[in-house]
Amino acid sequence: MTAPRRLRKELLDLQESSLKSFRDIKADDDNLLRWTGLIVPDNPPYNKGAFRIEINFPAEYPFKPPKISFKTKIYHPNIDEKGQVCLPIISTENWKPATRTDQVVQALIALINDPEPEHPLRAELAEEFLKDKKKFVKNAEDYTRKHSEKRPAD
Amino acid sequence: MSGGGREEHEQQQQQQARQTSPTPLPGVSSASTSAAAAAAAAAIGGLAVGVAAGSSGGRATPEMKRSAVRSLIQRYFHQLQSGCGNAHCTNANCASSGKVASMTPNEVAARALQLFSQDAQLCDSASPAPPASSPQQDVDMLSPNDSSSSSSNSSTSTITSASTTTTTSTQSQSAPQIEGERTTRPGMLIDLLGIPNPTTTAAAQAECALLNVDDSGTCTPTRQPTEFLDAETLEALYEQGLASDSYDRLCQAIADVFSSVDRLSKSFVCRPGQERRHLLEKSKSGMNKEQLRALEGEHDKDEDSTQEAETNEHPNVSDNEQEPDDDDDVPMRQPNPDPSDEFLHKPCRVDFRGLRQIKRLLFGSACQSISEKVTSCVVQLADFIRYMRLYRQDSWEQVLHCLIICFDMVTNTTASNSQTDMEYVDRVLSKLCHAASNMPVRAQARLAVIWSEYCPDQLQELLSMCQQQITLEVLSDEESVRENENIISVTKVLKIVFYANILSSELERPSCRQPLEQAEGEGAAAATATEEGEDLFMYSSLSQPHMPKFAEDPLEKSLQVSYIDCRNPHVPLEEFYNEALSEHIQMHQDYLSYKTLAMESELGSSHTNYFCFMLYGFILTPATKVDALYYDCRMRMYSERYSSLYSRMHSYGQDGQDGARPDLKLTVRRDQLINDALIGLELVAMSNPKDLKKQLVVEFVGEQGIDEGGVSKEFFQLIVEEIFNPAFGMFLLHEETNNMWFNATPFENGAQFTLIGIIIGLAIYNNVILAVNFPMVVYRKLMGYRGTFYDLCDWSPTLYKSLKDLLDYQGQDMEEVFEQTFKISYSNVFGEVVEHELVPNGGDVLVGQHNKLSFVNLYADFLLNVDIQQQFNAFRKGFEMVTDESPLKLLFRPEEIEKLVCGSREFDFVELEHSTEYEGGYTEETQIVRDFWSIVHAMPHESKRKLLEFTTGSARVPVGGLKCLRLLITRHGPDSDRLPTSHTCFNVLLLPEYSSKEKLEERLLKAINYSKGFGML
Repeated sequence: MTAPRRLRKELLDLQESSLKSFRDIKADDDNLLRWTGLIVPDNPPYNKGAFRIEINFPAEYPFKPPKISFKTKIYHPNIDEKGQVCLPIISTENWKPATRTDQVVQALIALINDPEPEHPLRAELAEEFLKDKKKFVKNAEDYTRKHSEKRPAD
Repeated sequence: MSGGGREEHEQQQQQQARQTSPTPLPGVSSASTSAAAAAAAAAIGGLAVGVAAGSSGGRATPEMKRSAVRSLIQRYFHQLQSGCGNAHCTNANCASSGKVASMTPNEVAARALQLFSQDAQLCDSASPAPPASSPQQDVDMLSPNDSSSSSSNSSTSTITSASTTTTTSTQSQSAPQIEGERTTRPGMLIDLLGIPNPTTTAAAQAECALLNVDDSGTCTPTRQPTEFLDAETLEALYEQGLASDSYDRLCQAIADVFSSVDRLSKSFVCRPGQERRHLLEKSKSGMNKEQLRALEGEHDKDEDSTQEAETNEHPNVSDNEQEPDDDDDVPMRQPNPDPSDEFLHKPCRVDFRGLRQIKRLLFGSACQSISEKVTSCVVQLADFIRYMRLYRQDSWEQVLHCLIICFDMVTNTTASNSQTDMEYVDRVLSKLCHAASNMPVRAQARLAVIWSEYCPDQLQELLSMCQQQITLEVLSDEESVRENENIISVTKVLKIVFYANILSSELERPSCRQPLEQAEGEGAAAATATEEGEDLFMYSSLSQPHMPKFAEDPLEKSLQVSYIDCRNPHVPLEEFYNEALSEHIQMHQDYLSYKTLAMESELGSSHTNYFCFMLYGFILTPATKVDALYYDCRMRMYSERYSSLYSRMHSYGQDGQDGARPDLKLTVRRDQLINDALIGLELVAMSNPKDLKKQLVVEFVGEQGIDEGGVSKEFFQLIVEEIFNPAFGMFLLHEETNNMWFNATPFENGAQFTLIGIIIGLAIYNNVILAVNFPMVVYRKLMGYRGTFYDLCDWSPTLYKSLKDLLDYQGQDMEEVFEQTFKISYSNVFGEVVEHELVPNGGDVLVGQHNKLSFVNLYADFLLNVDIQQQFNAFRKGFEMVTDESPLKLLFRPEEIEKLVCGSREFDFVELEHSTEYEGGYTEETQIVRDFWSIVHAMPHESKRKLLEFTTGSARVPVGGLKCLRLLITRHGPDSDRLPTSHTCFNVLLLPEYSSKEKLEERLLKAINYSKGFGML
């Protein structure tokens, strides 16, 4: 299986950097363009669990942006029920070929930790977040407990 | 002697022009003020000319009436458009009163005509000049000439005959001597013409009489004329005049200078060194890179225009830059500079800055006589230049100097918008156009270059002045638009403006005009070799699209530039369309001129001087050009039909086999549509490709119905639907743009691509619109140009943007940051990743500053040309089979061809409304949702396009229409000052529940108009 030279290097770099909040990074054995990893957020209400994501790189990478989707369900104004996320850094309008995947992941982690209700994908969650933060946090915590993966031991 | 012949010819022309020029409009005689004006003019004119030249007096009258009428109409026009300036004006037909609805210039012109015929009220302040003054001015000018020459009826031809005779005689008698003198005194030839010497009596006396007639009425040839003027001198003279309250000396100086080519060409010259500085300033502000390149001596650069700024900063970068391999696939390449370019590109000496300053004095001043003097002198000068014949390129430099000054005054005078300026424009512009359009091509080319380099900011204004002139002429003379000399000469000048506009824009050359074949020579040969076995369409010669020799534009050739080089013209090319002209042109007659010219060029003769608007396609609207194409199609269909009938009659009774059908008949089964069409068209293409040009008649097996167009329309629709279905495997759908693109790994052989090429050609030919969504590069390639990096913009905006980012990256650590090699990958139709090395062993070559440009070009070339070469060649072959003899390429730009094939891209927002879903508390019944749609439906096309782009990220309609978008409108909180936002990834529009419709509209428009850079997620 072939993959752009840069992508192989980026994978290696990410795996070696051993980030606390993004772990367990793997590429598919038969498709180096599909990665998976585990997001481990620090901020409540998501710090009770971990979330599996998938990163799909296009064949034209880095001239076209990767796509990110959540494999673990999450109660978040910026991530919809199907796991789709709208991340400005990888939108076709803003994508820069010099952007590295670790920057993309950092942006994603920042978004998870601090939701942006200004640009919601789930408007009802955004409204709850703005109007009744307590209720939102409680719902999100319950949801996280119920659906998310276990956080790694360390 | 040739001079005599010319004179005769010109007189004939003028007589013709008189005959065709209309009598004054109905209503003139009954309208009191205008009638008075006209009558006064006629009386004065009759007297003056009658005394001077006897019988020729009657001649001048209709001319002058017309001039008076025109100046009145001009005043109405001006009043409607700009107003009289009086804030308390109550005139309903004056813009200053605020009662005039906003109109297009054409509508204003029509309204002005109407007002004129109704003799409507004219504001006083809008008319400082007595209306009769302009015709009188003409008379003043005409009379002395006529008195000095009894041989001719017309003043202009007097000057002409005198001057041409002079020129030709000196040329023939003492050519070597003149030649020698010229090298020492470049102005010699002009001297002969401009400063009358004692032997050229007629013109000389005419001129000196004219210079002095206004002051004393007597000829005072002893007075020393002012030899030249510059901004400072003129200003000084003006100050003097202001102090002494008499502008005689200024007028005198103006009269001296502005009536002689020689003197004017020595005037308003920038001081040495100044022009260079002037240029550098322009270049730095990004105005003109060609010039900068010339200045810096960088003639041989392999660079593209996006690189300009950067390569200029680091001139060495591109010097080192060598293409990794030297084969012909590398697109960006500069041609060998033409030695004759020196004439075109040498610096222009006109002092534009000074000129613009003094224009205020000439036209803005309180003293009418100054501007009148300028106007009348320029009119005379222009007439003089019009009939000038110079034989050396360099001699035109002085004439050009004069014309540039005069044209420059046309454009800038309108800034102050006073009545006098309009008078200057009205009286001078068409004369100037006559003069400029009579110049040889090289001089015209030089004019275009100078305009593009020194005053690109004025082109827009010059264009609209010319358009107004044409529109007015058309509206006042609807019947004989095609014979109207004024329209023709302005059109010719517009062509110069057109090319100046292109030259002043960012050019990409000459890469994209590189013929497809030349660059693909080797590959194409290989491809045909492999194809030969399978390809059933035997059509070997795949040449450039048809462009008849006579229709090639000499100006374009001379400038070595084409609109195709220019992606973002300085002035949009659509602004060159003249609606009024296109409407009244009577295309079938123009087509006949075209055919006559074609026939003549075939016979090798070129005697007739037909003017054919088809050769000036930029001025015609696409709808009118479609007419031309339609006549061409019909003509050829009929001629095919006729010859087949003829051959039928001949072969009748001989063997009965030969009889060809008069039309192209295709019998197909619905369930075997593609196969049947393929086999049917293959047969035709093999036996007699010319049959493809006959009218298509389709018959579905087992169905009744005679094809009068409807059946073939259905046939086109069905076949396009099937062939473009991604499941069929010939074309792929690019999701990002909704465009179709050739499948580079198809299962079919080339014949099917040829078929779709034929279908597209037939659709144009038979006037059928198809639902195909090709990126623009396909149409450019069909016209014979190679796809380049710029074409990616429309092909895949994301890819284009990323590659541009790569190009724009300036750091020296490029290799580490991008880690990109000359090996690229893409996914094929099966979703597999395929790799391709852009150069041999490309996987080992990293992209860095020194080769990034070549990487980008090779990448684009691979995607747009190399990868699909075989498929595209087959496709184009089919297209050419149908269109190879039509004037398609002559008339249409690739953008217009697209419109021809796909129709205009109208957005059906009603369809969109029906398919839209709502969330977050909105339903289709919610007030704000209703308001939203009523606002959207009332939007102009451009705003709808922006809204579409704002919410979906693409301004293109998906295949199947807007209903396939599935827009989602979500409530984004209660009323607030937030702007609407969108998620282009999922076509979601987030709309706060604004308190009022007005607020919604305001916020929405703000969002879509300023969406670039923020707001979109």
